[in-house]
Amino acid sequence: MKKLIILLYSAFLFLFTIFSYLFVDPNLSYLKDFYSGFAFSNRLLTTISYTTAILIFFIFYGIFIYLGVKKKINLKEIFVLLSITAAILFFSYPAMLSYDIFNYIATSKVLFFYQENPYVVMPIEFVGDPLLAFTHAANKIALYGPFWILLTGMPYLLGFGNFIVTLFSFKLFIVIFYFLTVFLVWKLSKKIIPLILFALNPLVIIETLVSGHNDIVMIFLALLSFFLLAKKKIFLGTIFFILSILIKYSTILLIPVFLYVVWRLIKNKGIDWEKVYFSSSLLMLVAFLLSPIREEIYPWYAIWFISFSFLVPNKKILLYTSIAFSFSLLLRYVPYMFTGTYMGQTPFMKEIISFIPPALVFLYYVIKKKI
Amino acid sequence: MAFRIFFIIILFLLFPQVSLAQSNYVLPYPSGMPGSLSYKFHLLYENASRYWYFGDFGQFDYNLKMTDKYLVEAKTLFEYKQYLLGYKALKKSDFYFPNILFSLAKAKNNNKDISQKKIILKQAMLKHIETLERMEVDTPDTFNWQPEKALPTTLDIKTTIERAINIRKNVP
Repeated sequence: MKKLIILLYSAFLFLFTIFSYLFVDPNLSYLKDFYSGFAFSNRLLTTISYTTAILIFFIFYGIFIYLGVKKKINLKEIFVLLSITAAILFFSYPAMLSYDIFNYIATSKVLFFYQENPYVVMPIEFVGDPLLAFTHAANKIALYGPFWILLTGMPYLLGFGNFIVTLFSFKLFIVIFYFLTVFLVWKLSKKIIPLILFALNPLVIIETLVSGHNDIVMIFLALLSFFLLAKKKIFLGTIFFILSILIKYSTILLIPVFLYVVWRLIKNKGIDWEKVYFSSSLLMLVAFLLSPIREEIYPWYAIWFISFSFLVPNKKILLYTSIAFSFSLLLRYVPYMFTGTYMGQTPFMKEIISFIPPALVFLYYVIKKKI
Repeated sequence: MAFRIFFIIILFLLFPQVSLAQSNYVLPYPSGMPGSLSYKFHLLYENASRYWYFGDFGQFDYNLKMTDKYLVEAKTLFEYKQYLLGYKALKKSDFYFPNILFSLAKAKNNNKDISQKKIILKQAMLKHIETLERMEVDTPDTFNWQPEKALPTTLDIKTTIERAINIRKNVP
């Protein structure tokens, strides 16, 4: 039975990978052989297919959690499952839902190829660069932290100037951080359930293994910092905490929790790590909810808080709200996918889809608790 | 009615508002002026930020920003009849100028397309010339600067402004 589930899951991931190529950008000349324009000309069918795929993702997610709860899946099997997931989705088209990976490459190119400061010079200033045809934030200076930009030197240089190699080199880079984070989740929790909740969460999988967002790198460094603090390595923990902030700045909100842990360590007092992760999750949820101040709420920002909330699965309200957010935020893409415009009803629909399910789940558990 | 129109046309012809240089380029607001403590810190920041603006385009941006800044500073100081400080600011604006051309030449050598930067520079220079020509009208040709415990100096303002105009006119 388990083998059949894994086989079906693998087949589904394979189909999802093929589906992702329906979104190939018409201006992406490097993948012109894969361009069909299907997702842009058959919006209804694409939207239905995508929504169905998300539902299937969550059905499998539920099955894996069930297997975990019933202790019918072991660590080795989870590792096999994760390896299959990463190996298949590594080949998916990364700009299916977001163009951020192109921004990462463009920013990296400004620094490592043109040798200009990406905080001063925008990619658009390099007239004639082929990346400009499909990079959506080419008219902005670097949006990310300096440590992220430095790190991108590795996948950029490994691309040897070939765009496709660079693109997949960036994906590989993110896959490595995904596995490192999964490893840390295991080390910090020592339980299978948090591991399944995080590593097989459809939002984490899609936004990390398909779209290649760098949020996983920021979270990895923050978790590594806590892991080192748990080992009483304050100096190293501080370094990695700062590096985490220098990826995407959001973990700056964890400073109170970080200082509390350091203070407890210095005073040789015990630390309730469940409390630490719970507070971290709430603070990262605040960062997530505040993100419209900067731009808007993007689905991958949920990785900030769900990675902490899954470390404390006994906090049921937080756990179910996080799962509900994972589901609703993946459907946040639907209004644009269907209408093809960011104007009109699309922004309103996006907010409704994103917040109604988690709000209902939250209310349900609050009322249930009171009864 | 015809006579009125004719009269207006004649007026326009007799008093033409000729401006030799006009550009949509926008110069920055005047920043802090010399004499204050914050100005000294600002100079330090300015020197340090030169390294932040690394790269050919970065240096282009930095030097253009500096030459703009000191031109505006000179204009403001001349308006307040601070001729010595204005004179120095104008020379400083000129000082940064060759670096702009140098950074462009370097960018070209590094196979960067500099066509957009050249357009920006051309627009900036037109605005500079426009500002300098107005400055030339509003400031005295020379000014005798008499410091408290030193020999007086004659500031050849007109020549300095003309040289600044010529530098900018010679932009390829």
